[in-house]
Amino acid sequence: MAKTKSAQHAFIVASFLLPSFIGFFVFVLLPVIATVGLSFTNYSGGRTLHLVGLTNYFSAIRSSAFLGSLWVTARFVVFSVAFQLVLAFIFAVMLNGRVFARTFLRGLYFLPSILSSIAIGLAFALILNPKQGPVNMFLQSLGIAKQPWLTSPKSALGTLIFVTVWQSFGYYMVLFLAGLQSINPNLYECAELDGAGLLRKLLSITIPMLTPTTFFCITTAIIKGFQVFDLVYIMTGGQQGGGPARSTTVLIYDIYRNAFSSFRMGYASAEATILLIVLLVITTVQYRSQKGWVSYEAT
Amino acid sequence: MYLVLLIGALGVLGPLVIVASSAFKLEEEIFAYPMTLIPREPVLSNFIQLESHFPLYIWNSVKVTTSIVVLQFVTATTGAYAFSKLTWKFRDTLFILYIASIMIPIQSIIIPQFIIVRNLGLYNTHAAVILVSAFTAFGVFLCRQFFLTIPESLLEAARIDGASEYRIFAQVVLPLSTPVVMTLIIFSFRYFWNDFFTPLIYLTSQSLKTLPLGMADFVDQYNIAYGPQMAAALISIIPVLVVFLIGQRYFVQGVVATGIKG
Repeated sequence: MAKTKSAQHAFIVASFLLPSFIGFFVFVLLPVIATVGLSFTNYSGGRTLHLVGLTNYFSAIRSSAFLGSLWVTARFVVFSVAFQLVLAFIFAVMLNGRVFARTFLRGLYFLPSILSSIAIGLAFALILNPKQGPVNMFLQSLGIAKQPWLTSPKSALGTLIFVTVWQSFGYYMVLFLAGLQSINPNLYECAELDGAGLLRKLLSITIPMLTPTTFFCITTAIIKGFQVFDLVYIMTGGQQGGGPARSTTVLIYDIYRNAFSSFRMGYASAEATILLIVLLVITTVQYRSQKGWVSYEAT
Repeated sequence: MYLVLLIGALGVLGPLVIVASSAFKLEEEIFAYPMTLIPREPVLSNFIQLESHFPLYIWNSVKVTTSIVVLQFVTATTGAYAFSKLTWKFRDTLFILYIASIMIPIQSIIIPQFIIVRNLGLYNTHAAVILVSAFTAFGVFLCRQFFLTIPESLLEAARIDGASEYRIFAQVVLPLSTPVVMTLIIFSFRYFWNDFFTPLIYLTSQSLKTLPLGMADFVDQYNIAYGPQMAAALISIIPVLVVFLIGQRYFVQGVVATGIKG
């Protein structure tokens, strides 16, 4: 009796679990393990493969293409994360108080983050068209020289960062707003009684109380920063793209090109494994360090 | 402060207005300076130029997105039920693995995933895009957090009345979960309507392309015509915009829910 009951229970659990577990196992867990496995092979998309030990890793760290893409990715992540979060914080603080058209403005700033990056990339390609786009025509009317934007290796990455910030800061603004709303208003009242000014309240209450939100935003923004792909593809040259002089070839893009254009799948798997390790290290470090500077008290 | 808010609003609105107005302009007027807000002579020719391929791309996008949303609804709610309302060995360990997978960018595991899909004989089919997208760790997490707030006593009462777990799931838990299900549906709709990377990897036939893939074709063409591009961009934006205007709070709830610690 007890046995049939537990078998029955197992059947029930399995029937609820399997729909998600099959997808998780076949298309996530197995690929994670296989990515690491393939990185030790010379697989090129065909029927055969040979173990090559650490050759792919040695090739990668000696490859200027790989090191270049790491450097592009690092700059993209650092600057896009910093600008997005600073803007998001400023706008969240402004829109937290009683402001004219508050709901409308919140919605408006948030809107680009849910729209198609492909559509947005096409729109900015038009706006920043070097010959006759509205931005350059405007600059010219002010007597400033036309800028090359996406077509010069000097400015392509910066332009990409700008569009990313434009599209995504509203997302983090919504997160900051939720964090601001969870701060107990009594704290501000007490501070006011003690004669604290706006700046004092911001530094001593708002920023410390928002550290959990900030921590979460940084983690999310970094991971999303490593994933930038659509804009690179659409704004800097499509299949053969990655920017003038590889100036916007981020790591993900290099992996994509190696795996699906050159069919160096073993090598690309080594790059992907390195990416997985980098992300693992970043999230672990952040998770550990949050104990030091994140305050979860009194929320 | 109002000045900053206004500049921000114009900065966000500007590019969107340019898309909408350029979609109805002829090429010369798109690059006219100073730019006209409302087209002097509005034309539909940009949309007409899309006629040959885009109706099919739109249909493909509708088909693929709808299938994924339905599958995600099933896998997320059943999974969440297993992780919140049933007890079994390794439950919490497996849940941590699910959560950890949220951190993994799809692009970093795409190579073996591609090989698996090819071996299943699904390469260059819509089924490939649909199946690899059916599992959502975020969705399981989102629904589980909500299910945990449903009192156990309610389920116990139903169990004493002899209701099976399937019945409790379908007739007690799901009806109470409308808000979270709406959030999930809206979130996955907007994500997969816009998704570019997965279709790019798995779909090669012209006739299978989704809307974002169709738009990306503009990039590899010489003599880029901006008018049709903006018309296509507008078409891809409108459904998300409409859903946003109707269900803005679900979007916001979804974003905020990602910030709640598990």
